[in-house]
Amino acid sequence: MLSNKKNIILFSIPSFLFYTVFIIVSTFSTIKYSFTDFSGIGKANFVGMENYKRLLTDEIFIKSCSNTIIILMVSFLLILPISFFLAYVLDWNFKGSSAVKALNFTPYIIAPVIVATIWVFLLDPTMGVINNALRIVGLEKLQQEWIGGNTKTPYSIGVVYAWQSIGYYATIFLAGLKTVPTEIYEASSIEGANAWQKLRYITLPMIKDSIVIVIVLAVNGALKIFELVYQMTNGGPNHKSETAVTYMYYIMFKSGKYSYGSAMAVVVLVACMIFTLIYIRNVKDNLE
Amino acid sequence: MKKSKVYYVLLFIVILVTLLMIFPFVWTIVMSFKTDNDIINAPLALPKVWNFDNYVRALKTLNIFAMYKNTFIVVVTTQIVSLVITFMSSFAICRMKFQNRKIKNLLYTYYLLGISVPVYILLFPIYRINIRLGVLDTLWSLILPYIAITIPFNTLLFVGFMKGFPKELEEAAIIDGCDLIHLCIRVVVPILKPVIATVTIFNVIYNWNEFPFAVTYISSSANYTISLATSMFKGAYSRDYSAMIAAAVLIMIPQLIFYALLQKQIIAGMTEGAVKA
Repeated sequence: MLSNKKNIILFSIPSFLFYTVFIIVSTFSTIKYSFTDFSGIGKANFVGMENYKRLLTDEIFIKSCSNTIIILMVSFLLILPISFFLAYVLDWNFKGSSAVKALNFTPYIIAPVIVATIWVFLLDPTMGVINNALRIVGLEKLQQEWIGGNTKTPYSIGVVYAWQSIGYYATIFLAGLKTVPTEIYEASSIEGANAWQKLRYITLPMIKDSIVIVIVLAVNGALKIFELVYQMTNGGPNHKSETAVTYMYYIMFKSGKYSYGSAMAVVVLVACMIFTLIYIRNVKDNLE
Repeated sequence: MKKSKVYYVLLFIVILVTLLMIFPFVWTIVMSFKTDNDIINAPLALPKVWNFDNYVRALKTLNIFAMYKNTFIVVVTTQIVSLVITFMSSFAICRMKFQNRKIKNLLYTYYLLGISVPVYILLFPIYRINIRLGVLDTLWSLILPYIAITIPFNTLLFVGFMKGFPKELEEAAIIDGCDLIHLCIRVVVPILKPVIATVTIFNVIYNWNEFPFAVTYISSSANYTISLATSMFKGAYSRDYSAMIAAAVLIMIPQLIFYALLQKQIIAGMTEGAVKA
């Protein structure tokens, strides 16, 4: 009786409209324009795969993608072991563990734009803390152009992204660790398993879901990094520190090549979708 | 865990990691008291005198009241609308009897698809929608897309949670003569409180910090959100680094205090948002 057609439609319509107009129609509009020569105004002519072919020969785009992959790899190599290690130790519930957890989580709630602003003062080649600390301890040789130079920026961005999100991923791991029943550990102790064996044969297999979630979220997060680059180097010098996303933004909004930028956006979409679909398959079970 | 040597070594490493994690914050606060000259010429020295000049200059350039007001309006409006409409649509998906059951599952999957859409693909089409609606460069140009962006994630959480509680309560309320609106407000919403909290924490932190939409759609400084105003620091303070750092601290501190007060809920909410879904 409450589920008459009128009520169902009334309840469903607002979300459906918002979502359809802003997300679905917009996504398809970008996909559509990626096959045209649309410049933002005027008529759009269908040009087939032209924009995508151009991507393959655009050296800056290839450089941007390789930067994105560097960021992804660097942050991944830091995030996975460190956040798991933090979670593993936090799971012992030592005195002060909740404070440690909260402190490590802090960077995650700060706006990426502010994170970038802070880190400039650590990474800047001349006034930054890192290079000056190296000089004082006599390790000038290790000084680098951490940001703004020709090569190091994506590595630094990967470190900053890892710094920002490690505490978050640690709590996801921790939530997983809490689900492992202590009886299993006790039983294995009686059987004579050492700490390493417990970790390898009990803990890791039992938190497989958490590992998948962290991997997917970390990869997705790294693919979508925008503010850190925008704020620290704005892709410079000469587009050398651009990522796929920031270069797309530049092409679309700074040089007005809308259809070409759309093709890049579609590439980013496909990359994100692959990882997110894995995530959804893990969290979504059917309604009934 | 018995307290062996390894236990203390690992604990020590964790403390070291934690110190590294908070160092950038501590350092920023220390720097905010230094003069420009000291920041450039003696980057590692502590401030000679702890003065608040930097903060005075930062506040002169920064329209801090407007930034907070704008961000607050955007976040709160988005959140209220989003909660109401995603609650309604999730309730329909989960609790109402569709004539064709397939439509339910289809609708649910349709919403979930949105989770994988990166905002960058939406920037230009929504830019054009904003122009057509005549809201470009107003706070509405952010509120409308923010609402849309929250729908997939909130649907996932609402539906996931609603599936888990028994229908008997609602049925009893209906037999007692409760109509749909009262049923939702008096019976269903109270049960959903925990998931509403989780969703709100997730959305608010995301929207409070959001940048790509803000930088694309807002151009008048009167409408700057906090993130957008921060991105303009380089231009606003040119080479006045000390004022720039003080401004960053001024923006961080309220957020850190808010986090300190609610850290248990925030951490739990953010984690549940990712894990339980």
